[in-house]
Amino acid sequence: MNLEEYRTLFIVATLGLTLIAVAPTLGMIVPIPSGSEQFSELWLLGPNHMAEDYPFNITSNHNYSVVLGIGNRLGYCAYYLVEVKFRNQTQSAPHGFNRTPSNLSALFNITAFVADEEIWELPLTFSFGYTYNETLSQVKFYNLALNDFELDMKNYTIVWDVENDGFFGNLFFELWLYNMASSSFQYHSRFVGIWLNATVSNGV
Amino acid sequence: MTKLTVKSASKLLVLLIVLISSTSIFMSKASASNLEDTATASIETAENALVSAYQAVLEAEQAGANVSGLLARLNVAGGYLANAHIWYELGDFDNATRFANLSYDVEEEVRNEAYELKNEAHGLWVSDLWLRMTISIVGVICVVFLGFLAWGAFKRRYHKRILGMRPKVVSDES
Repeated sequence: MNLEEYRTLFIVATLGLTLIAVAPTLGMIVPIPSGSEQFSELWLLGPNHMAEDYPFNITSNHNYSVVLGIGNRLGYCAYYLVEVKFRNQTQSAPHGFNRTPSNLSALFNITAFVADEEIWELPLTFSFGYTYNETLSQVKFYNLALNDFELDMKNYTIVWDVENDGFFGNLFFELWLYNMASSSFQYHSRFVGIWLNATVSNGV
Repeated sequence: MTKLTVKSASKLLVLLIVLISSTSIFMSKASASNLEDTATASIETAENALVSAYQAVLEAEQAGANVSGLLARLNVAGGYLANAHIWYELGDFDNATRFANLSYDVEEEVRNEAYELKNEAHGLWVSDLWLRMTISIVGVICVVFLGFLAWGAFKRRYHKRILGMRPKVVSDES
């Protein structure tokens, strides 16, 4: 190696050491992107905080419990809205593949602010008030009591499912996320729900 | 004459009663409408304040502040707002207004605290940046200075070595 080559080597080594000395300052100014994926989780657990013992056969004005949970992995504190909806077998459902929400209006909205990398859970106690019309073979709802809130369900009916022998309704929760850019909530492509069988006094 | 007067008086009385009752109905309707308008306005104000408070919390978080306490209170404000919506739908505008105002109060507190936290976090960030910049500048000066010294020493050693390898003329007297 001649002197010129040694000089180049010295300059490169000095530049390398200079970069190391500048790194703490650069780390504060230049944002380092986190390689992890950004997403949210939505779950529904049974009354024992396990994915089991979900209510299925329900009776009018009887209390049932589930636990609703949200996990935030978005990289920032998020403002969520959970739309509580109920549908019968023929009404609009949220679509998992097309990532579209149900076009039914929400019975109730739950807002949740969740810090990054944290979870938020809400125990839900609900009871449906309904009557059975034997002539029309249908169950007509009049209210839903959800965590002490009385919600009107006057336009909700379920007809008898001949194939599966029951009055089946789907209580589901859609997750919406507040978007600062558009100043509105946008459907966050996540939903959970449970199917319920509204039993009536004659043993159905 | 007396009969006519009594008849007119009774007519007048009926007219007066009708007038009073219609006025009271009109007044109560106007009052209900006024209450509804107040409740609508309060809910709308609380909803906007909630978004505004969230934005302030988001900015505080981006500045490096710990916002978990503020988020817990925003959840409380969101609960009040949900109550306001329910009371509104039930037609109880007094309670709807009351819960919307409760929500608004919490939101304003959160927003102000978020701005304070943001400024505090920004101040800490700036002082940290100054410290790191000072360390970096001192580090760069040391590296460059030591580099020059090392290079000078190396160059001298190199020249000495090269000169030591120079062929020497040896006298051949024998």
